[in-house]
Amino acid sequence: MKKGKRLGRPSNAWRIPVAAVILLVFLAPFYILLSVAFRSPQDLNSYWRFPTQLHLENFTDAIENGKILLSMANSLILTVGAVLLITVVGALAAYPLARCRTRLNQGIKGFVMGVMMVPPLSILVSLYSVLVKMHGVNQYWGIILILVTFELPLSIFLYSNFISSIPGALDEAASIDGCGPVRTFFRIILPQLKPVTASVVILTGVHCWNDYQFSLYVLQSPKLRTIPLAIASYFSQTTSNINAAAAAALLAILPIVIVFLFLQKYFIQGMVDSAIK
Amino acid sequence: MKKTLSLVLTAALSLSLLSACTPAADPQPSSGGAKPSAPTVSTPATPSGEKVELTFMTNVVGEKAAALESALKGFEAETGYTVEFSAPGDSYEELMKTKMSSNELPDVFTTHGWSVARYSEYLMPVNDMEFAGRISDQIKPVITDSEGNMFVLPIDIDIAGIVYNVDVLADNNIDPDSLKTWDDFAAACAVIKAAGVSPMHIGGKDTWTIGQFFDWVAPSFYVTDESASKAADLKAGKFDVPTWTEIAQMMADWTAAGYFNPDVLTADYNSDMEALATGKTAFCFYGPSAIMDAKGVNADASLGMMPIPAASDGDAPSLIAGEDIAVGIWKDTKNAAAAQELLNYLARPEVAGAIAKAAGNSSGLTDVDVELGDIKTYFDKYKSVETFPYFDREYLPSGMWDVMCATGAEILAQKSGAVEDAGKIMEQSFLDKYAG
Amino acid sequence: MNLFYLPAVLLFLVFVIYPFIQGGFLSLTNWNGYSQSYKMVGLKNYVRLFTDGNVGTAFLNTLIYGFGSTLLQNVLGLALALFLNGKFRGRSVLRTVIYLPVMIAPLIMGYVMYFFFSYNRGAINDIVLALGGQMVDWMASGPRAVAIMTVVNALQFVGVSMVIYLAGLQNIPQMYYEAAAMDGIGKAAQLRYITLPLLMPAIQSAVVVNLIGGLKLFDIIMALTSGGPGYASHSLSTLVHRTYFGSENAGYASAIGLVSFLLIMVIGTLVTRYFTKKEVEM
Repeated sequence: MKKGKRLGRPSNAWRIPVAAVILLVFLAPFYILLSVAFRSPQDLNSYWRFPTQLHLENFTDAIENGKILLSMANSLILTVGAVLLITVVGALAAYPLARCRTRLNQGIKGFVMGVMMVPPLSILVSLYSVLVKMHGVNQYWGIILILVTFELPLSIFLYSNFISSIPGALDEAASIDGCGPVRTFFRIILPQLKPVTASVVILTGVHCWNDYQFSLYVLQSPKLRTIPLAIASYFSQTTSNINAAAAAALLAILPIVIVFLFLQKYFIQGMVDSAIK
Repeated sequence: MKKTLSLVLTAALSLSLLSACTPAADPQPSSGGAKPSAPTVSTPATPSGEKVELTFMTNVVGEKAAALESALKGFEAETGYTVEFSAPGDSYEELMKTKMSSNELPDVFTTHGWSVARYSEYLMPVNDMEFAGRISDQIKPVITDSEGNMFVLPIDIDIAGIVYNVDVLADNNIDPDSLKTWDDFAAACAVIKAAGVSPMHIGGKDTWTIGQFFDWVAPSFYVTDESASKAADLKAGKFDVPTWTEIAQMMADWTAAGYFNPDVLTADYNSDMEALATGKTAFCFYGPSAIMDAKGVNADASLGMMPIPAASDGDAPSLIAGEDIAVGIWKDTKNAAAAQELLNYLARPEVAGAIAKAAGNSSGLTDVDVELGDIKTYFDKYKSVETFPYFDREYLPSGMWDVMCATGAEILAQKSGAVEDAGKIMEQSFLDKYAG
Repeated sequence: MNLFYLPAVLLFLVFVIYPFIQGGFLSLTNWNGYSQSYKMVGLKNYVRLFTDGNVGTAFLNTLIYGFGSTLLQNVLGLALALFLNGKFRGRSVLRTVIYLPVMIAPLIMGYVMYFFFSYNRGAINDIVLALGGQMVDWMASGPRAVAIMTVVNALQFVGVSMVIYLAGLQNIPQMYYEAAAMDGIGKAAQLRYITLPLLMPAIQSAVVVNLIGGLKLFDIIMALTSGGPGYASHSLSTLVHRTYFGSENAGYASAIGLVSFLLIMVIGTLVTRYFTKKEVEM
């Protein structure tokens, strides 16, 4: 952005009020959350009026009773585990799907796309009983496998689109040189997947970190509670202190907001790379 | 060729995987049925040195949960066992249903009024345990099944009437004891409404709060009047639609008259408590625990509880009595001995008394005195008022609660035909589930 | 080489296809969701499904949540992208702020929105009052609740389509516009004949990504209305949840789940295929 140019274009003046309105709309939720979180339960003023006295007890309450810190650790463990598998299994699966466009593979790809759209709750009941039989309830690996399964389609979709854009001539050259498919994948394809891997990690990582539907059933032990579970149970349990609940919500979103603010270049680039090849 | 091979491999592998996890705990067709297992009281104590871990799950939250948790800490200190305590709040029932479906329950859990109708299939009878002889007669019938088995330790008893804000009634010169019938009650509502206060407050977003209304009102129409009681019909699988329509009509009339809070469909339980505590409403259909919750919002609030009006002049007001914190043992637990030790510990007068106090309820055991403070005045005052069980737990098949909530929401939304539909839908679901 | 997708296929078999088949079996029973016993009831649940108004409402709502937010996200996303594509101070801050809500768990966003739309003390009603209006019980009407939640979902995730379009716009060579301007072609026509066609790949991606999110909407509904008033704002996901756990009709819930699984899969595939074709034609 060159500053000189801005001055040279007077027609840009109208953008300032529009920008201000947009800013207001998108920041309002955060403002209200802050305003509620720092408010004493006895303060019955409008949420728009920021409390003059910061009621920090809400936060100590949230940390002690809401066990927010423990839930952050849990969320981190399962996000890292799930994302690792999502990228590896996804990249592997995408390779043949992108390269061998047989009927079967087209069918599988269509199926994968379909799974991506389907509300997972429609099969939750039997999904849960499968997991029980495998003794995967209340286990990190249980929730990780489920998250991997339902995030895989996105990963496969992104990887296969990306691999399609890598010229097939490279593979052919490799196979003429005597490389098997395994070596071709690891030598030729894998090194080129860096940018799309960043997208996969970021997109599915945010989903896993924020997952509520699956964790609710799989992680029932309070020791394993993730952030959305901790917040949900805190909101449902505090009959008298909605402010402490808001404080808990604020603490819960803090890590991901901070990570985003520092790495936003990668987040946005990842999103863009995934969409426009 | 390669492709075909890999396809076959895929199929073979996946098939073997599927068969590896074929049903072990699959629900069995009804012909098999589940038999309650025999009580195993004489289980030898766990050999010392082995670490015992119990899981304990409860539906209760807030003060009650804190009291339970501290009781469990005492038990851990005394025995050296560990107890994993879990109070998931709103999602408790859902979790328990998924756990029951896969026959994988916590060692010890609370049954929120359903020890017989829903959970007895999974609970160990407690008839032969030490505390069984001490269970209060008031709660005994509620927790006993048709074969005489009891499955839980009832730590406290929930005696519930209509909770009210004392100041709002006083300001409008309404004596709660003069509200003998629903007509009296509606007249009082008209006075309160004219004074600019919402007579009743329901947090309909939480849906269960709507079911409360029917649990409070239905007994007076169906069962409290002995001369016209339909209790036997209900138990025999007959649902009287016109009576339900009367109840629904009453709700519809009150909605039209503006006796409920204006945000009745979107408010939640928290806002009920806020309104009750700050004098923005007069009546709520919750038990004494609501008084504790509302005091959490405003410690100075002056709150009381009155018996539930009757449907006709010939009948008298009544109260509802039910299980509150009732603790049972999973019949297939691997830690039966330790779980029984835990129940015995919780049944000790000082332990049970402390938990009941936190709940604001009287004890479910005969030899336990609970310091109740304010609420005790009301319990004493209405000691002679007849009590009835929670309507849906006693007279409706499990699963009807949600139907009451859903049809009630349509009435509160003033949807046309909602009153007639309510009766029809209730009957249909009643018959389906009764036959189930 | 096809062996590469073995792990993925295995996961799908165990956690999607097998549960799907078992769900098919359960949908023929009257299982209450927790008991160890149940009866076979044949196709009764399916017969009921096609006459149940609540299922119809939930299906319609799901389409509104899905396609409504997709439409909004793309129109708004494009507008925001065009706006941010100009050069002015603070534009990167603006981009950050618009994208920020994407990071927030939808469940938490739902709770925050409850502070806005509740009747008493709701932030929106405070504004209405300040402007001299009457308080509105926003979520009391089903269609309005559906509309509000569609907008909330769209605004929360509009950042995604915005950055996709922003990148798409920056890939369009400036010389096209310069040439058009020289020929005296207006801004509107430039948008119609240069920008939109060249953005087609970006549009495809944005639509697919948004549709996936919208059709699955669950958390926000649970936090804001629990599907109420009555059944008016349920999506298929929340309806299955309520039928299974609330009404204790697990057999029926499985039937609803399976039918919605198939319907959404078909709709989703058709939309994706439509857009993929479009792109190929370009």
